[in-house]
Amino acid sequence: MALPLPAFVAKRRPDWDALQALLGRQKAGALKLEELRTLDSLYRRAASDLAHTQTFYPGTDAHRFLNQLCGQAYAAIYQPPRERWPAVRDFFRKDFPVTLRRELRFVGASAALFCLGLLLGALVVLWEPRGAELLVPPGMRQYVAQGRMWTDDILSVAPPNSVASGIATNNLTVTIVTFALGMLGGLGTIYMLVNNGVHIGAISALCIREGMTRGFLDFIAAHGPVELSIIVIAGGAGLMVGQALIDPGELPRGQALSLRGREAVKLVLGCAPFLALIGVVEGYVSPGSLFPTWVKAGLGLSLGVLFWGYLLRAGSSEAVRTGAPADSAS
Amino acid sequence: MRTAPSPHLDVATPERVALTLPVAGIGYRCLAWLVDAGLLFFFWIVTYFVFTLLVSDVLGVLQALSGLARTLLVVGLFATQWLYWTVGEVFFHGQTVGKRVLGIRVVRMDGSPVGLFESAVRNLCRAVDFLPMLYAAGCISMLLTRQHRRLGDLLAGTLLVREERIDLDKYTATSATTAEPLQGATRALTPGEVELVLAFLARAGGLAPQVRQRMGEKLVDRVGGLSGDERAAVLASPERTEAFLRARARAEG
Repeated sequence: MALPLPAFVAKRRPDWDALQALLGRQKAGALKLEELRTLDSLYRRAASDLAHTQTFYPGTDAHRFLNQLCGQAYAAIYQPPRERWPAVRDFFRKDFPVTLRRELRFVGASAALFCLGLLLGALVVLWEPRGAELLVPPGMRQYVAQGRMWTDDILSVAPPNSVASGIATNNLTVTIVTFALGMLGGLGTIYMLVNNGVHIGAISALCIREGMTRGFLDFIAAHGPVELSIIVIAGGAGLMVGQALIDPGELPRGQALSLRGREAVKLVLGCAPFLALIGVVEGYVSPGSLFPTWVKAGLGLSLGVLFWGYLLRAGSSEAVRTGAPADSAS
Repeated sequence: MRTAPSPHLDVATPERVALTLPVAGIGYRCLAWLVDAGLLFFFWIVTYFVFTLLVSDVLGVLQALSGLARTLLVVGLFATQWLYWTVGEVFFHGQTVGKRVLGIRVVRMDGSPVGLFESAVRNLCRAVDFLPMLYAAGCISMLLTRQHRRLGDLLAGTLLVREERIDLDKYTATSATTAEPLQGATRALTPGEVELVLAFLARAGGLAPQVRQRMGEKLVDRVGGLSGDERAAVLASPERTEAFLRARARAEG
């Protein structure tokens, strides 16, 4: 017959208190090697006490206490490897591009959806000019009607850096939302991709109709390739999530979701620094006439090539993949 | 013997012990979010006021900043709103400030602490959980899933567990009056009865006198096995009743 509960608690409690104190010190990061050994043996003892209470005193506070104590010790002992700077470097050197190459079909599907939106928007405006009233924000329409770029004015009213920061945060929001909406079975991501495509398509078609092709290209050339690529990649990540939700394969849906989610977020996290970079380009280089068009176009193209070159080549030992990365960029 | 079934997370440890961690429900999570959101809000307010106190010409200073500094500032402000959660969860053992206040913690589905990727997923998904307003999607998801997980948790494979403050003192507390020798007690108590008696003893001081009397009497009848004069003696005063109960709960074997 087991001890009565109070006697059991009184007998074992010193060990538990010691374990609790050690866990507190472990959290503070002030644990010595000797104490680490003690922690281990105390944890094992607490675990066996927990098994004991599970059998003899289930549902009591002592049981709950031990449960929690062991839970904390378990979390302290079985820690996942810590992410540190080398891990970050490895992530960008290898993990991110490799993941992207593995999931290239999702990025492709996302690019296709985006292009579909682009075509739709452009066709609507080209065929039916009044469609522009629906698809292009009124502010922009006014500028275009006057034959000016809306960005010319942004620049003269506000200095370029506030434009840059506004653009950067806007792009971040679009990227995050495009990815996160994948949780709605991928429908949200598809909507975001097509919607953004339609808008951009409509605006460009409007500019072309009004004979402002040059101005529009001038504005979009420097940052367009990379920025649209990033949105397409975030869309690909969203589609991955949606796919795991709809067709989890052989895993239970919950597991498939968390597995794919961890892969998908790598794409989004990997894009973040590039997004910040391209925000700076969009704010400083793109608007106005500080730089001639050919410089902008050259910069945009080379950035696009660099970006996709990095994505498709980095981290692979057998860098065989060639092709035209630039045209898949937009 | 089990208490009311509440959502929990079962973890099998390599030590072959099954841990059962209580899962934090929607109430805890909403409160923790309110604390965090309030904290961020007041942080910005206070920062703003301190800034205006220190610098008389706010607009002038902002305009005097170089372009790059200003860009960094705005992006930094934006990022803070997103990074706060992930930094808290990765570096402070799965707890943002609000979660710490409420005593809840983010863990993976196997009970281990969250890493960077999980935390990033669940916090990026705030964008979709927030839809259409005030975390409506997240709340619906929490109500529908067994372990109260919002969409971000589903995607990241995480959930929130609760940490309770459990006082073991009640087991080891000794009464001021030394226990009298027990009479009539022969039967060993079940752990459930011990728990019941101890719970009563812990709360007896705060009960209304007649309630204290009545409950003490019921417990004595249940665990005492006394009759006649002995029972009357034990029930003479609340102190004697409780001393008897304490001795009974602590009795060996």
